[in-house]
Amino acid sequence: MAEHAACQEVVELVSDYLEQSLPPGEASLFEQHVNFCDGCDWYLDQMRSTVATVGRLTEHDVPDETRERLLSAFREWRRE
Amino acid sequence: MIAYKFLRPDGTGVFTRFAWPPPDDGGPGAWVDAPADPCRTGVHACRTGDLPYWAGRVLYEIELEGDVVEHDTKVVAPRGRLVRRIGAWDDAFRATYTRWCADRAHEIARGSGLERWREVIEPSVSEGPALLGFVAARVAEEGFGVEAYHAERARQSEWLAARLGL
Repeated sequence: MAEHAACQEVVELVSDYLEQSLPPGEASLFEQHVNFCDGCDWYLDQMRSTVATVGRLTEHDVPDETRERLLSAFREWRRE
Repeated sequence: MIAYKFLRPDGTGVFTRFAWPPPDDGGPGAWVDAPADPCRTGVHACRTGDLPYWAGRVLYEIELEGDVVEHDTKVVAPRGRLVRRIGAWDDAFRATYTRWCADRAHEIARGSGLERWREVIEPSVSEGPALLGFVAARVAEEGFGVEAYHAERARQSEWLAARLGL
């Protein structure tokens, strides 16, 4: 990042930010941007909620049929 | 060390959502302890020069203790407590500052032949002081280089500190 972050950079770095793996300087620019950009603030909130929700799921929360469809899709994806 | 901290209207941290113990009956709030690790943990706060970068809804004076880590646009300490709310930082003041930043942005744009920024400035006013402060500094940067960005930020912090009596 330069002296400030653009929306695209915030979107690209949101996972690193949530995992606290950004260097302090970049994290600071990330937060400065989120502080004035309602769109990115909303996006960050959505990502936080998604991580919190998915993080609570266990294998038993996924119905058998859905698990089979996902596994099948992953196998196809690996063959491509 | 005395510094300043922006919080959400409900008294929680802008990014952490931590519920800060508020000052009560004229006395400071309870101490909060957290290891100082910039942008991860610790008590994050502003010097007066940092205020424009973090302009938010509610502003407090905060007392910091321990080894304070100084960063470009913030300080981080292992311990802090809210001392008092800066009452002058209210919606009317925010609007006045936002307007001042917008006028500065127009002035700089005119002076540097960047008239196209006019299309950005006025529609941004409703977004508040953090965005307009950034816009004014960005116009300065585009017109005169990165040093002008920092100079405009410094001008904003001087404006704020003088009018808030900090």
